[in-house]
Amino acid sequence: MRIDPIAFEVFSNLFVSVAEEMGVTLCRTSFSPNIKERLDYSCAIYDAAGETIAQGDHMPVHLGAMPLSVRAAIDRGPMAPGDVVVLNDPFRGGTHLPDITMVSPVFLGSARRPAFYVANRAHHSDVGGMSPGSMPLAREIFQEGLIIPPVTLVRRGAMVEDVLAMILTNVRTPDEREGDLTAQIAANRVAERRLREIVAKYGARTVAAYAAAAQDHTERVLRATVAAIPDGAYAFEDRLDDDGFSPDPITIRVRITIAGDGAVVDFTGSDPQTTGGVNANFAITLSATLYAFRCLVREDVLYNAGIARVVQVVAPAGTIVNAVRPSAVAGGNVEASQRITDVVLGALARALPDRLPAASQGTMNNVTLGGRHPGTGRPFAYYETIGGGMGARPGRDGISGVHTHMSNTRNTPIEAIEHYLPVRVLRYAIREGSGGAGRWRGGDGIVREYEALTETDVTVLSDRRVGAPYGAQGGAPGQCGRNTLIRDGVETPLPGKVRLTLGPGDRLRIESPGGGGYGRAE
Amino acid sequence: MPDVRIGVDTGGTFTDLVRFGADGISVHKVRSTPDDPSRAILDGLGDVATVGSGLDVVHGSTVATNAVLERRGARVALVATAGFEDVVRIGRQTRRSLYDLMQEDRQPLVDPALTVGCRERLAADGQSLIALEEEEIARIVARVAASGATAVAVCLLHSYRNPSHEERLAEALEAAGLIVSTSSRVLREYREYERWSTTIVDAYVTPIMATYLGALERRLAGDRVAVMQSNGGTISAGAAKAAAVRTILSGPAGGAVGARAVADAAGHARVISFDMGGTSTDVCLIDGGIPTTADTIVGDVPVRLPVIDIHSVGAGGGSIVYVDSGGALRVGPRSAGAVPGPVCYGTGTELTVTDANLLLGRLDPDQFLGGRMALDVDRARGVARELARRVELDEAALVEGVVRIANASMERAIRVVSVQRGFDPRDFALLAFGGVGGMHACAIAETLDIATVIVPRHAGVLSALGMLLADVVKDYALTILRAGDAVGAAELETLFAPLVERAARDLAAEGVAPDRTQIERRLDVRYVGQSYELTVPMAVEFRDEFDRRHARTYGYANPRRPIEVVTLRVVAVGRVEAPALPRVEAAPSVAEPYGVRDARFGGALTPTGFYRWTDLAVGAAGQGPAVIAGGEATVVVPPGFAFRLDPFANLIATRSAR
Repeated sequence: MRIDPIAFEVFSNLFVSVAEEMGVTLCRTSFSPNIKERLDYSCAIYDAAGETIAQGDHMPVHLGAMPLSVRAAIDRGPMAPGDVVVLNDPFRGGTHLPDITMVSPVFLGSARRPAFYVANRAHHSDVGGMSPGSMPLAREIFQEGLIIPPVTLVRRGAMVEDVLAMILTNVRTPDEREGDLTAQIAANRVAERRLREIVAKYGARTVAAYAAAAQDHTERVLRATVAAIPDGAYAFEDRLDDDGFSPDPITIRVRITIAGDGAVVDFTGSDPQTTGGVNANFAITLSATLYAFRCLVREDVLYNAGIARVVQVVAPAGTIVNAVRPSAVAGGNVEASQRITDVVLGALARALPDRLPAASQGTMNNVTLGGRHPGTGRPFAYYETIGGGMGARPGRDGISGVHTHMSNTRNTPIEAIEHYLPVRVLRYAIREGSGGAGRWRGGDGIVREYEALTETDVTVLSDRRVGAPYGAQGGAPGQCGRNTLIRDGVETPLPGKVRLTLGPGDRLRIESPGGGGYGRAE
Repeated sequence: MPDVRIGVDTGGTFTDLVRFGADGISVHKVRSTPDDPSRAILDGLGDVATVGSGLDVVHGSTVATNAVLERRGARVALVATAGFEDVVRIGRQTRRSLYDLMQEDRQPLVDPALTVGCRERLAADGQSLIALEEEEIARIVARVAASGATAVAVCLLHSYRNPSHEERLAEALEAAGLIVSTSSRVLREYREYERWSTTIVDAYVTPIMATYLGALERRLAGDRVAVMQSNGGTISAGAAKAAAVRTILSGPAGGAVGARAVADAAGHARVISFDMGGTSTDVCLIDGGIPTTADTIVGDVPVRLPVIDIHSVGAGGGSIVYVDSGGALRVGPRSAGAVPGPVCYGTGTELTVTDANLLLGRLDPDQFLGGRMALDVDRARGVARELARRVELDEAALVEGVVRIANASMERAIRVVSVQRGFDPRDFALLAFGGVGGMHACAIAETLDIATVIVPRHAGVLSALGMLLADVVKDYALTILRAGDAVGAAELETLFAPLVERAARDLAAEGVAPDRTQIERRLDVRYVGQSYELTVPMAVEFRDEFDRRHARTYGYANPRRPIEVVTLRVVAVGRVEAPALPRVEAAPSVAEPYGVRDARFGGALTPTGFYRWTDLAVGAAGQGPAVIAGGEATVVVPPGFAFRLDPFANLIATRSAR
């Protein structure tokens, strides 16, 4: 079928609007603060082969990972009309356990095979495991929470109550989980209905042809972008501070080879996977790499399978960038993903020094709080991440107090936290002067200080407490982050990755890193 | 009721006036005077009436909006709970664009050096954790007074629950001669960033608006001046000076009110208004009433007050057509604007949607702006040919495609206000206005399966007309965050009472007679644990209504799940004696074109009747393809549509049965 450039643009609009409409339903009807307030979710539609047609502009860290979920659901076996497959297993299509993904097939007419798939992924506040919020410092994945392999949660339109009961029994806040799972199913239903409408109007063959054209178009745009990078091999390395168990740093090495309009991104030489949960599975490494390349594109293009055709990722199994079962992975998604982005952008900066920034904060400063409400005894589990300094850019200072690279989740209003949780926030401020000096300054980090009002189980998962975010082209690095316990007026420094119990009146202060500077200061 | 009522809408280029008197409705346009907008208003008023003769003037202006967009507002000091001075700087800690490494930082309205931390603290239940001491108040007044700020925003945590600390600070700051906005007066709702941001905007625009409105009142001494608010209602200029942030989106609000009035009169209670201009398009779904939302962003600054729920997209007649690096044809969001303008204006060099309409034969090049400006068809054709060659299309297919692509983004905007809110666009009529709305409306209606398109007689000044027709509207809110099973109807009545009392008092102060007062009570409700609420009317069985709306909007409901009442809302309406739109009854007649020209529809050149709107009599009817020009808007009626002039001289286009 000949692709008409006019119809192409019309279909691109339709595909994006489907992903957006899914997102609205999910965000507005969900219960986890992570989904509804922080917008930690992604929605996308896929072709009959499970390749992405369009993904909403939601979470970068889900970019390359979502198609692997769809693949895992397809590989499990045939789906029927009205089915929804649920999964979170990081080694079968997931990222880390709190991210639960729902995949639905879209059948047309009496066809025996799906014409499309739709999927959404959302970060739930708790999926069980050794600590509230399910972002623990674990030694193996079994401690991190309930592992859900691809299983059918809705069969031909009816909830499989046994599977639902199995999930809800294994989590700390089952009511909230049930609400979120319902919202996720509703989001897939929205997309199924919309795709059916579009096909009814334009015909299945036409829609499929334009879906393929959308992937080809993104591929062409990315090829043009890569072709503009000088051919050559560019290497870079950087480190995660530690894995929370041993003090040893973990090195991630990359070598990017640009040849014509294709790129090979090879992580061979990176350190082996570790005991603690900063391991990235392959999906995360793929997401971080594709994100970095997507940043080079200056036009507004659909994010879809076309990008992955241009960038080949090599990550040896058993390493920090392709961890295998049963390694713990809670922090791979949030911490290793940031360092992978740092090294890929760092290597690309060797080729394009005038276009790429210094390192941003390079961590998400994950804080999970849990315990029981003093009045009612009901359990609570809360998770949030804290923004920091953006790396300085050629020609512009870095932005202060924002999420960078693999995350763009919002904060939860302090008035909401204090209304619903036995926690008080004592300070929320820009950490002045923490950005690296340079011709252009790195953005400053954030200071956030909490006070426990009842006995509270806390896990902090953060990085860049030892190794600072690098400066670029002679700019100074940003300041490292700092975690501090304040008990009876005494300040005690805490490691980057720590679990502890706060008593009433105890305080926890998180200072997030500043971004690196760019260029020598005058 | 005064004899003459005039709606005045100050826009970037023109100031529109719609006058209603004993002799009916008349329309007038004068050039805007951006350096002092009141000059154009005074000139325009002088042209159509006797200034000072007791006129009732309703005004909508962009003074407050522009002050925010161009960062030309007051020097504002911020007093915030100590430890939280940066809350507004950090915002929601997100970046605007995921992938743009070079994105610009946000420009704060408050200079960080003018921020003062205040030692005090309330808990979530409103109890005082750290008392606000008198010495602290004195210290803050001294600091602010020495800072050179002209206005102060007082923003404390949990003040929506207990405003006493903010009130005490305000009293002392006001005594020192400062203009004060407190977050609990501006917006008594939870979520500190949005409440504080709204309060800062209020402080930022209040001095400018007070000066502007004060000057206008002086120049119009003897007349009554009211101001259009973003919520679709008016308030007196005196009241507007004390609530400047409420006027921030008054122009688009006037358009929505005008659209509703025209549609109502024409017998359509359910319409989607579609205001397509040169650079952007606004759409609004009107289901009997005009919907409001509190999710508005002015530039990059959240304003959480009720604002007419208008969705904007950056596509319009001036949107530029280009080929991207992947070889795809794209339209917008970059716009040629007024300068250089479309290629056919003679100065632009990049093809726009307007050029495409011209090349399709859907504009009469000799009749543009009533023949005052000739359009250069050949110049536009040259640019289109070059572009067509690059995407391997013939020129005709290219230009028809450009219009289709523009329409696709309009359709997406209409889906956002309809489908995403749980409405089926097929149940609505499409009401088009703005410079180019009428040229695209029928094609969009066809794709969305909408049967009727209305282009108002006064499509060029609908916003000013809306201002003329708008009621006095005041709204009030109070966040309570209470479990649905813990707060009964009796307690809700008690909680509502002070809001209702205040509403009645404020309306009386606006001069509204009690028999014209209407007070509505509403509840923002959600399932316990959700973050987004749905608004339902206050009633004993509000729970059932909430479940129904949840199912309609999102596709499911759970009547067993506990609910939470988040915010109480009161909307007080003082109904004005709105002038009735003039109506003429006439027998059907056949519309006579002034010419027949070829225009392109569905890939084929088709003989098309060109009509002059002003020549058409009420009751005149015809068949598409047709182009109706020469009124306040141009309407393209494609094949398959019939058109007629209704008793209000609106153009109604209907799809013929398939």
